[in-house]
Amino acid sequence: MKKSKRIETLDKRPVNKDGFINEWPEMGFVAMKSPYDPKPSVRVEDGVIVELDGKARADFDFMDQFIADYAIRIDRAEASMAVSSLDIARKIVNINVSRKEILEIVSGITPAKMAEIINYLNVVEMMMGMQKMRARRVPGNQAHITNLKDDPVQIAADAAEGALRGFSEEETTTGIARYAPFNAIALLIGSQAGRKGVLTQCAVEEATELELGIRGLTTYAETLSVYGTEKVFIDGDDTPYSKAFLNAAYASRGLKVRFTSGSGSEVLMGSSEQKSMLYLECRCLYVTKGAGSQGIQNGSVSCIGVAASVPSGIREVMGENLVAALLGLECASSNDQSFSNSDMRRTARTMLQFMPGTDFIFSGYAAEPNYDNMFAGSNFDAEDFDDYNVLQRDMQVDGGLRPVTEEQVIRVRWEAAKAVQAVFKYLGLTEVTDEQVEAVVYAHGSKDTLKRDVASDLMSADDLMKRGITGIDVVKALAESGFEELAESILEMLKQRVIGDYMHTAAILDEHFQVMSGVNTPNDYMGPGTGYRVDGRRWEEIKAIPHIIDPDDF
Amino acid sequence: MEINEELIQAITRAVMKEIDKNGQSGGGSLTGKTRMMPKTSYKGYPQAVKGSDPKEVVIGVGPAFQKEIKATITGIPLDDVLQNIRAGIEEEGMVSRVVKVLKTSDVCFMGLEAAKISGSGIGIGLQSKGTAVIHQKDLYPLSNLELFPQAPLITLDMYRKIGQNAARYVKGEKVTPIESVNDPMVRAKFQVKAALMHIKETEQVDPEIPMIEWGKA
Repeated sequence: MKKSKRIETLDKRPVNKDGFINEWPEMGFVAMKSPYDPKPSVRVEDGVIVELDGKARADFDFMDQFIADYAIRIDRAEASMAVSSLDIARKIVNINVSRKEILEIVSGITPAKMAEIINYLNVVEMMMGMQKMRARRVPGNQAHITNLKDDPVQIAADAAEGALRGFSEEETTTGIARYAPFNAIALLIGSQAGRKGVLTQCAVEEATELELGIRGLTTYAETLSVYGTEKVFIDGDDTPYSKAFLNAAYASRGLKVRFTSGSGSEVLMGSSEQKSMLYLECRCLYVTKGAGSQGIQNGSVSCIGVAASVPSGIREVMGENLVAALLGLECASSNDQSFSNSDMRRTARTMLQFMPGTDFIFSGYAAEPNYDNMFAGSNFDAEDFDDYNVLQRDMQVDGGLRPVTEEQVIRVRWEAAKAVQAVFKYLGLTEVTDEQVEAVVYAHGSKDTLKRDVASDLMSADDLMKRGITGIDVVKALAESGFEELAESILEMLKQRVIGDYMHTAAILDEHFQVMSGVNTPNDYMGPGTGYRVDGRRWEEIKAIPHIIDPDDF
Repeated sequence: MEINEELIQAITRAVMKEIDKNGQSGGGSLTGKTRMMPKTSYKGYPQAVKGSDPKEVVIGVGPAFQKEIKATITGIPLDDVLQNIRAGIEEEGMVSRVVKVLKTSDVCFMGLEAAKISGSGIGIGLQSKGTAVIHQKDLYPLSNLELFPQAPLITLDMYRKIGQNAARYVKGEKVTPIESVNDPMVRAKFQVKAALMHIKETEQVDPEIPMIEWGKA
């Protein structure tokens, strides 16, 4: 066959490097609806759910039982299930029906019913729903702060810059697991150097993550993973009950926690039980709610390559974000993993959360170049900062970020790097040289920084854990090294755990350490003229992008 | 011959039965296909036992290794992968042994199972798609000494270094971990393929026969 130049050009487009697969329900490659998904049903006897989505109590797996016992309001179940799914779907979109009324109805429905409701909504209706159902009045954003070298100085500097740019939460992880305590400390210090009140976490193996939290080296946790089938839970050496205990362990020390789930994980683990991704994700979210978590990070997350490969997959991702909001959970809505070679496609995917606003639009945004993103790449990275700021300005949407100046960036990076250098010296950890500080402050990514002695760093990090270093030691080190203001900020962050208000749904802290959550600043959107609007000082801030034409220049 | 509704149904049933038997449908549609490969039975294979040689590093390979899957996600033959890891271990003066883990297809658990029966307490987990981990018997399952999560980026030279580093942990040396590699586009390019390969591997999981000796290399 003679080749078409048009087709040849199209074949070379980035989008054609992405992975696509036909629907295959037997293996779970189906987004919204599988022929094997159960039909919604519930039966209550003597205050106990004895039938859930077509299954009798005797046939429950541990997820069904957990959901039936803890995640559905039994007193509401029969009344809520009597409302048709189409009616509930319409109420979600109807601006005259309040968030509160919907939460009440939804509190009594089953996972299969929830999936059925979401199937009635197109993406614009889902966005309408999210605009109303998001827990916190003002949307927020979260950053990933990582680098290929696990360089703690770069973590601190990028955290400071990220905080300055507006992120309310910052998350790190490691290339090499044993770097965790260094990364956690660097993030804790750096974030406060950029903007007071930013929350930080270190996503690592669960027991280590808990220990870092208990020691006050992190201020929240997110990586409590739940899955949609019993088999995948068991493969992860877990049950819904063990997750509930872990959640309680954090709560006992006053730490904010959210769970993590996302469609596609069961497919990737080879145990989807032939169910749709949406139905399985509904089960995850019910378990999250039943375990008493205030929130969830979901939206396919690290399995986005699977969800995005099937028809209606990106719609499903938005659908599962909405399910989280409908259950009254804080929703950190993913956008945190690269999944497409096409700039057009990756941007379109993010608009579904960006335009209505979610509690955290990204969870998170790579605040470093993607080659340094140790979550294997985020959907947006540091090189997209200005694009993102322009999108906010174009559409008058609050995406949680703000334009900054070069002077500000250098100043906060410098302070964060010097503070880490001082703390490492005070605590007797590996040396941070002046040359390293200098390189990091002016760097874009780890390709511009110096090599560290990894073996010595790891021994020093192990030693730090053995010595029982806590957040208070970091405060002391800062205070006695001339960083009084930073010391005070970190002490304030530790005090939050005693106050406990930031454990409320969708809580973030402002620069005065005041909580803004779904409880004290709830979303009150009910159509035009209501809810959060971008105006006043915030709008001025969003407008002030760099590279604006000055008429006097002509 | 009269073609009626009944006959059409009978033919459809016969065809569907044939499809089910083969576990695949001939055309482009995947609907109805419930397996990727028939299950291999390892009944009668020697169960893996705990080693006593303190120089030993055990490599625990995945259930489909060198059988249903013969090359990594980027097409590196698994024979070569194993040969390089073993060479790395031996270059450091340690001894290698290969077992096939059948109870799980999770790389961390595979690595931990291998470490638990290793005479030194150090093991390597190796999935058929190429993902690898260096594990130690007393660590949490999802923790590790070194993890190489992005299989598409691992080269034969890196597999050799993985063997070398595992051996160095046995010797109690101050080990410099292999430098992290990262490709932020790896998910877009490989995740569907990774899912299919993992399904293939998970199909071969057999909880009845947890681990067997896998001398073949």
